[in-house]
Amino acid sequence: MRPLRILAAVGLSATALTAYAAGDAAAGRNKVYQCQGCHGIVGWKTAFPEVYHVPKLGGQNAEYIVAALKEYKSGERDFATMRAIAGTLSDQDMEDIAAYYSAGSKAAAAPAEKK
Amino acid sequence: MKMHMLAAAILLVSGTAFAASGDAEAGRKKSQPCQACHGQSGISVAPNFPNLAGQNEDYIVHVLKHYKNGKRKNPIMQGQVANLTDRDILDLAAHFSRLQGLQVKY
Repeated sequence: MRPLRILAAVGLSATALTAYAAGDAAAGRNKVYQCQGCHGIVGWKTAFPEVYHVPKLGGQNAEYIVAALKEYKSGERDFATMRAIAGTLSDQDMEDIAAYYSAGSKAAAAPAEKK
Repeated sequence: MKMHMLAAAILLVSGTAFAASGDAEAGRKKSQPCQACHGQSGISVAPNFPNLAGQNEDYIVHVLKHYKNGKRKNPIMQGQVANLTDRDILDLAAHFSRLQGLQVKY
């Protein structure tokens, strides 16, 4: 009985992860070369127009990352570097990148716990 | 003369080191309204709301100030920050940045 419960839990959580990430995290891993130089370095800060730490992305919600990238691309959210980078990304790129950063996030695991 | 110049130079450079920082415990108390969307532990209740737990403290300050001055637009957040003082913003940032969650991912 116990192995069956464990199998069910793993199966449910795997379903939850794939259900929330429309993108492919494995594909995203090869698309984050533009991101790593800032968001992959602990302590990295912006320089202009204001100085602050760039946001941590590991464990962020995929849907939110995609929304933010779209806002940078459209100019609705104002930051020159991000606008330039987001401008090079297709919708699929954004989904894959978001899936990569959100992989293993607590939010992705939450639906399995609720079930 | 040279000592004065040196002292002035040190004070000028160190000014940024004395930027005010928030009180995490006060921030925890002030975060009650935030929890409805951003969760009890800074992990959001919905996938389109950002997780805040463990986010960089100065980044949170930056974003809240930008919601306040309109440089970042979001109708929900604009309403939320309208009543926040600079002190509140510092305290909230101190609180959320100390929770476990977000990480730098290479």
